[in-house]
Amino acid sequence: MKKFLALLLAVLMLASILVACGGGGDKKTSDGGDASIDIEDGAKLLVWAPDKAIDLTKELCEAFKKEHSDKNITIDVQVQSESEAATQVLNDKDAAADVFGFASDQFNKLMTANALAPVFDPDDIIDRNSEASVKAATGSDGALYAFPETDDNGYFLVYDKSIISDEQAASFEGILEACRKAGKKFVMDAGNGYYSCIFIFTGGLTLEGTDAEGTQQFNSYDEEAVVDSLEAFANLFHDYSDVFLSSEVAKIPTGMAADPQIVAAGIDGTWDTNAIKEALGDNYGAAKLPTVKIKGEDKQMISLHGYKLIGVNAVSEYPNAAQALADFLTNEESQIKRAEGLGWGPSNTKAKEDKSVTDSPSISAALAQSENSVAQVNMSDTFWSPMATLGNTLWKDKDYSRDTIKANFQKTIASIKDE
Amino acid sequence: MIKSYKARRTVVNALIYVLLGGLGLIWVSPLVYLVMHSFRGGKAELATTIIPKEWTLDNYAKVFSPPDPNVVNFPQWFMNTFIIAIFSCIISTLAVLMVSYAFSRLRFKARKPLINVGMILGMFPGFMTMIAIYYLMKAMGLLAMPKVALIICYSAGAGLGYQISKGFFDTIPRALDEAATIDGATRNQIFWKIILPMSKPILVYTVLTSFIGPWTDFILAKIIVGAQGPEHYTVAIGLQKLVGLEYKSQHYREFLAGSVIVAVPITALFLFMQRYYVEGVTAGGVKG
Repeated sequence: MKKFLALLLAVLMLASILVACGGGGDKKTSDGGDASIDIEDGAKLLVWAPDKAIDLTKELCEAFKKEHSDKNITIDVQVQSESEAATQVLNDKDAAADVFGFASDQFNKLMTANALAPVFDPDDIIDRNSEASVKAATGSDGALYAFPETDDNGYFLVYDKSIISDEQAASFEGILEACRKAGKKFVMDAGNGYYSCIFIFTGGLTLEGTDAEGTQQFNSYDEEAVVDSLEAFANLFHDYSDVFLSSEVAKIPTGMAADPQIVAAGIDGTWDTNAIKEALGDNYGAAKLPTVKIKGEDKQMISLHGYKLIGVNAVSEYPNAAQALADFLTNEESQIKRAEGLGWGPSNTKAKEDKSVTDSPSISAALAQSENSVAQVNMSDTFWSPMATLGNTLWKDKDYSRDTIKANFQKTIASIKDE
Repeated sequence: MIKSYKARRTVVNALIYVLLGGLGLIWVSPLVYLVMHSFRGGKAELATTIIPKEWTLDNYAKVFSPPDPNVVNFPQWFMNTFIIAIFSCIISTLAVLMVSYAFSRLRFKARKPLINVGMILGMFPGFMTMIAIYYLMKAMGLLAMPKVALIICYSAGAGLGYQISKGFFDTIPRALDEAATIDGATRNQIFWKIILPMSKPILVYTVLTSFIGPWTDFILAKIIVGAQGPEHYTVAIGLQKLVGLEYKSQHYREFLAGSVIVAVPITALFLFMQRYYVEGVTAGGVKG
């Protein structure tokens, strides 16, 4: 009896495995290295775009179909958030979209899982996009694996122009002073590694990717300079403890909209732009992060900055059509349309000069900040929580002497490197 | 030390009530907060005061007729979940009760081994099988129809949860079955006409659990529906999306309102079913 049952279960399991293989096995692509893009006839493509961009993406796909009307292409556009695209692709490559948008911090994960098809014609893409965004889409083997879509996936300074003048907004001290005068708060999420890394980057530390074992690498930074920076921030946070508030970023639009207004300025990203604009109306101001006085010298605050990329699924049935579509979705006109319709900052060097970009305070702020940033690519997962802890110690701890800060910093680096 | 027994009792009781009241307040405060702030008006999306200053029904209006269905499509999510929960509820309730009946009343050779197999399979945590379930669904081509796939997932193994209802059926005297058999009833008729009407409490319990399970499930639903667009989402996935970084600053109050609405069907079902909960106990079923 028991033997029979075991046999039956084994057969059932085998059968289901075979069925599963039958579905996935024949999807192998035939050619990968063909440089000339020859769109397949009757190609069927699935595109993933985030919900806010879905209408525009559909419109662009229609334009693409019209351009290649002789090829009889069908394109299905589905909603999938960019922050989750990689997870979904890695869950099941066969069920995933042929062309999908994702944030650059997921690039490494997708690369190592061989989920991205190399770009057929990289020279053109490298030419037309900003150097940093191309770097973010380049794999460790030096080949280009994705099409840069935006250059704005980061945070910058947002402020109420009626409280803080543009001159004051140029320096951190000026902002805090203006906030104190108006009795309002300055909000940033110092307890989140994504934002608190500003404190060490401003001291000259940068990321140099991960090594073969996945350990985070840094440049050869000057430890004293980094501690100088940390000390300067800690002093400011304590001097202005009535003004400085560390809290999740969603509090920024809320605090600005509240009646009476609580928040006058903060460090937030493009994802909250609409909510903040709604709260402040004409007083909406956005700029790159301010400078901070370190040892009497004004230093530009350096942020972590990401990109949005469009990738082509490595197991796409119609690789040529998918490549051509990804190319089309990231060209100059498409990027300008995104800047106009969605407020997304382009990575295309020509699109960056477009009026829709230079006129928008949030896009210009994001683009200006991107020049003072460390790219969010190829980062170790161990980076975030030690960094968050370090950020918290700077404003929470009563003891913020140089020695303590230095010890905390060394501990942080050791934890990130997992030593 | 207070001498009088009465005075001492009053003091002790007062202390106990203060403590219980305090604990009760703590327990109920998140719910009060949720309901209260789902009616909050004003421009700020997150709460800035504990008690809202402005009150409005706008959040509910936005939830029921979403201004941008690409982002928030609560009515659709609600319908999806409702369909899935109703069908899984019907199928799994039937399955559970029938399996329990068979194990409780019938005697066949494989009964003991099957009971054991059921027990052992039930001990594996559901998380272990999720990836396998995903690939099975994919192999069957059901991923494109996530509703069907989810109904199958929720109700397929339901019969394994027979233990509690089998225990209940065991307490119903077999004399009733025997009497019915003498009157010419078949096993099937006994189940529907004798056992079921006397098992309303366990029926209600099974219906409630098998409805609430799919209604509130997040992890399995996320795995099956995750790759699909938001038009296939269930309420759990949809609401979770609204508290994500990109949405929180604009949709937080819709999230609160949605969470209140999610509780409505479960509460309604419970209130409706509760009447039967106290009735239909087997006491007095057999008279001497």
